[in-house]
Amino acid sequence: MNQVWNIFRKDVRHHWIEITASLALVAAFAWVEIGEWSHPNMASGGAAILYGILGALAVPLTPVSWMFLIVRVVHGESLAGDRQFWVTRPYDWMKLLAAKVLFVMVFINVPLFFAQTFLLAKAGFDPMSYLPGLLWLQVMWTLLLLLPTAALAAVTRSIGQMLLALLFVALFAIGLSILSTVIPNSDFAAPVAAVYFPLVLLTTIAVILLQYCLRRTSQSRWLLAGLAALFAVVMVATPYRTLIAREYPAARADFPLQLSLMPPPKETHYELRNRIPFTVTFSLSGLPKDSFVELNGMILKLTNSTGQHWDSGWQSRGTMLFPDQKLVGTNVEINQDALDKLKTSPVSGDLFLAFTVYHDTKQRPFVVPQGEFRLPDLGFCSTTAGSFSSLSCRIPLRRPKFLMVSSEMAASTCPLSKDQIPPSPGQIARGFIRNDSSAPADAALSSVEVEGVSLVDSSNDRTSGMCPGTPVTLSNPEDAVHASVEMHIDSAWWAAYLQSLNKPKPQ
Amino acid sequence: MTSAIQTDSLVKKFRRVDALQGLTLNVPQGAVYALVGPNGAGKTTAIKILMNILRATSGRAEVLGVDSSHVKGRNLESIGYVSENQELPGWMTVQYLLAYLRGFYPSWDANLEAELIKQFDLPPDRKLGHLSRGMRMKAALASSLAYHPKLIVLDEPFTGLDPLVRDELIHGLLDRAEESTIFVSSHDLGEIETFASHVAYLEEGKLRFAEELTSLIDRFREVELTFDAPPAVPQQTPENWMQVSSSSAVVRFIDCRFDAERTAADIQKIFGEPRNVTFSPMSLRSIFLAMAKSGRGSA
Repeated sequence: MNQVWNIFRKDVRHHWIEITASLALVAAFAWVEIGEWSHPNMASGGAAILYGILGALAVPLTPVSWMFLIVRVVHGESLAGDRQFWVTRPYDWMKLLAAKVLFVMVFINVPLFFAQTFLLAKAGFDPMSYLPGLLWLQVMWTLLLLLPTAALAAVTRSIGQMLLALLFVALFAIGLSILSTVIPNSDFAAPVAAVYFPLVLLTTIAVILLQYCLRRTSQSRWLLAGLAALFAVVMVATPYRTLIAREYPAARADFPLQLSLMPPPKETHYELRNRIPFTVTFSLSGLPKDSFVELNGMILKLTNSTGQHWDSGWQSRGTMLFPDQKLVGTNVEINQDALDKLKTSPVSGDLFLAFTVYHDTKQRPFVVPQGEFRLPDLGFCSTTAGSFSSLSCRIPLRRPKFLMVSSEMAASTCPLSKDQIPPSPGQIARGFIRNDSSAPADAALSSVEVEGVSLVDSSNDRTSGMCPGTPVTLSNPEDAVHASVEMHIDSAWWAAYLQSLNKPKPQ
Repeated sequence: MTSAIQTDSLVKKFRRVDALQGLTLNVPQGAVYALVGPNGAGKTTAIKILMNILRATSGRAEVLGVDSSHVKGRNLESIGYVSENQELPGWMTVQYLLAYLRGFYPSWDANLEAELIKQFDLPPDRKLGHLSRGMRMKAALASSLAYHPKLIVLDEPFTGLDPLVRDELIHGLLDRAEESTIFVSSHDLGEIETFASHVAYLEEGKLRFAEELTSLIDRFREVELTFDAPPAVPQQTPENWMQVSSSSAVVRFIDCRFDAERTAADIQKIFGEPRNVTFSPMSLRSIFLAMAKSGRGSA
């Protein structure tokens, strides 16, 4: 313990400037967060500019300052190289590692924990009720930022080398994102993320232990390079179609939504050669009043009479379809070269649509109060000013899984502006907050999230305001069924569609 | 006498370079053992393997009875290491370096620490990064002596230092020689000769010889033969004669296994009776220069 304390004290003495800067940034971040809640409606003026600048600086700089602090403290007893004085001194590697962990906990984890606890308390929430979420945030920041930074610092010996390593990581991330755009279906199915996380965790821990225990820098670097290669392999080798087919099996006969294909448009314009828009419109029916569906993704498969075929690969969508909607349109781009080859003989196609059916449960009426109010299961909310007034809410730690706010547009108490047409009776506008993660806290620096809810009629994109006195319905939709629906597009429809295509406009 | 350091067929390869080619060495306890050789001979590599900074490709080494690959943690409490290449924490003051290291060594001697600061004339409040090279070496040595190490390993400690500082370092070392084994690598032969008890010569990763300094000095002689007329110098001379040369009536050579009677007999057998024979003792520097030139040192 003496050795741990000795190293820790030395690191504090050496890095007091970095420590002070990091703590100041955490304090600035908390101050800016609180300021933004205190003046939610500020649109301009000195305070708005000040908070804007400080917020823009403090939020990204705080994690950067942590990374810098970790790099400096790890490099204090550099693990790479063979000239550092400490390697011939009686350091116990476990005590050295313990001293570094203690340093990170005292100057990063603890200040972050206090800042997040303070933010919760200032936002009006009891921090003790959110202890698991607060601890989860600590774990998340440690696993996603602190450990990988420490692993990179452990295989480098200077800030220059560390920056080079970060440049490699950035280039690799860019490369992966480019790769994902050329791998069919990877845009829609993302279960690989569940594989990446344990891979990163295990590799970074292995690198840190290997370096502190044995100082095998080249092996550790190879381990990190192997992780990068594994990322690419996982991305390429994941059986996306199998995963999608498993998540969205073919719809059964009792699927609550009936879709009918509408005729193709009279004219289809497009700007870029090789990217021909394929737009389809469906009429909707059969959806029960207490349900709605989300179109999650689609794939278009084309075949001509000679057996040539092409498909678009699964592409993600996020269109909500409600019982009061009669029509919905969606589109996918077709490769012109493929289309030119296919259309030499009659073309037919199949469109597969992946849906999630939601039951709109726990519906309860609510009248928007004046000023700030507490919305159960969400947080503290208030309305913003103006005729398209929306809700702005402070939410502790995590957004709810799914909160739907719906309102008859004609019932809005917001004054209409001169050029606004009064809504028709029965027109419904909806807004929602949703969260795909089931973690006890969302991945954020702040423990308090500020989320807005605006009401929109998705059939015509018209916005509706929520002013004090506006009656709304709150509900918590739950996903009931995942299914895919196949729509056959016959050759006559295709012939009409191909006729509708105009040549691209000259650039 | 047991060994403080023992290596057996130590090999280290850096890609295509063979830095050490089967080094077998035995450093007796209590010795002041000098590992000498030209630049690139493998001295630093050997020391880094002993200190577990590098891993050997093959062979084994023991330091104070511990396999060198396990020399870490508590094993280092009895070993002091100073190297010309060592990166000291430049932000620390001399005083803070010593205070910091104090916590790592149960045998740290605060009185000796104060004595060393005084002896080496170290400025306690000056940052290591602001010290001259000589002062930094003295600070490093002070920090490696204050805990009474059983073994002191020094890698080229005198390189680039002025004579005064060298002298101070050597005195500081010799003051500890009674309680420690000192293993020092250097190509500064003049200094080594003044304090080493043993010497080993490493060249191109191979040990040419290793022996006590007195025996080395005893067995090397510069021989000068003066004749009345220029003698005929045969092609073949005894194996222990190095750098045989003649200039008019004078023949010179170095005998690397000098024995007065045998050398005289060899001279008589080859040259007959010279008018004058002189046997001059050689400095360590002259011995190594002769060996480096002839490549016959191990003869």
